[in-house]
Amino acid sequence: MSSRVKGKDNARARAAEMRATQARLERRRRVLGATAALIVVILVVGGLVLVKLTSGGGTTTADTKPTTALPSSVLHGVTSVPTSTSDKVGATGVTSVPVSVKTPALTAGGKPKMLYFGAEYCPYCAAERWPVVVALSRFGTWSGLGAATSSSSDVFPNTPSLSFHGATFTSDFLTFTGYETTDSNRVPLDKPSAADQKIFDTYNRPPYLSGVAGGIPFIDIAGKYVSSGSSFGPELLAGQTRAEIAQAINDPSSKIGQAVLANANVLTAAICQATGAKPANVCTSSGVTAGAAALVSGQAKK
Amino acid sequence: MSRTTTRWAPLTSTALCIAGLGASAYLTVEHFSSSPSYACPESATINCVKVTTSSYSELLGIPVALLGLLFFLVMTPLCLPIAWRLDNPWVPRLRLAGITLGVAFVIYLVWAELFRIDAICLWCTGVHAVTLALFAVVVLDAALRPIAAADATSGLPPRNAGRVAGKGR
Repeated sequence: MSSRVKGKDNARARAAEMRATQARLERRRRVLGATAALIVVILVVGGLVLVKLTSGGGTTTADTKPTTALPSSVLHGVTSVPTSTSDKVGATGVTSVPVSVKTPALTAGGKPKMLYFGAEYCPYCAAERWPVVVALSRFGTWSGLGAATSSSSDVFPNTPSLSFHGATFTSDFLTFTGYETTDSNRVPLDKPSAADQKIFDTYNRPPYLSGVAGGIPFIDIAGKYVSSGSSFGPELLAGQTRAEIAQAINDPSSKIGQAVLANANVLTAAICQATGAKPANVCTSSGVTAGAAALVSGQAKK
Repeated sequence: MSRTTTRWAPLTSTALCIAGLGASAYLTVEHFSSSPSYACPESATINCVKVTTSSYSELLGIPVALLGLLFFLVMTPLCLPIAWRLDNPWVPRLRLAGITLGVAFVIYLVWAELFRIDAICLWCTGVHAVTLALFAVVVLDAALRPIAAADATSGLPPRNAGRVAGKGR
């Protein structure tokens, strides 16, 4: 074999080796780039989940965190009122009931939906949350309920209450969406969805409700009943702690217990109309039956 | 004819796109339904209705579900086996750009679910998982496909091929 042919072979071999080396380097570069990209994405998504989990499974930001955590004794006192206690109150002293309306059914997830619009600064909202929580506790369970106090510079200052900001209600019978649009200092909190805002804008006014349009608290029960304002005066709660209110709610002889339970019975009766009288043990209790009667007679007065 | 891609990427990505297309179409239909009723369990953590009716369910007035559907409508043709075999360098570039945008949006939506809405939608999570898996397929294919073919489809000439050939003459 001539030296020229040998030289050509060597050149080919070197070229092949160079190509192989460059291919190896190129592959390594690409694999490193892909691995880095995948690791970044996994770290970001995994990091978000990890931060959420290590924060106790609750909420982690000011946007969804309850203003103040609710003591477990208060939570238990409000969400576990015995039927026998509320039955003793019935609908005694009820002066204001939700208005029956004929609007498109308000549903979510195939269930009737109850919508609440309020704000933590609002003293009337502060009063109304108590019967709302008591009533809904008969249909499902709460998590993340917070504590809130109405504005110190508004009427009925510092009315103690609960907060739906960051709270979740779970039920087999209905869904609940509660908005606290601002905190007690009127700093924005929950932003309603466009659909819920439309419900508020459309039905929180005459002819559906009397008085000034857009008042809070506003409640829409499955498109069947709407209400605006509190069902009892916030002054009843003045000077009380949340623990004292929770205790009073379980005492049918106390003024607070009568006001909260009677209005909770009326609300429950309205919700029962949306759920098809389910659950039966709730909807047929004597307290709720009295609430249903007050609901009917209240319509006649309007 | 040399391979332009890995053997598994075309079929895997097509299957993922079809799954994403189905889930996002379902979410879009439910979004425009007057009374959405998602086939989705409901608990303190999982709540499809809460997520899909939140203020984060729309971006600049466009439903996020619809954006997801449009995303998969674009990605599906880019991920069909025939698209993987094309020599046009813009196809892999568009595929990679599209899925990168998709992953960025998924990260935003996961953040919104966990830290703003405080609830998880299982259907949305399914779409997110499909998007992340598609990202892995596209990125891994770009790394593992045959080098010469990868160079060709990325618009680059096979490295040094001309120079070595010239030297040989």
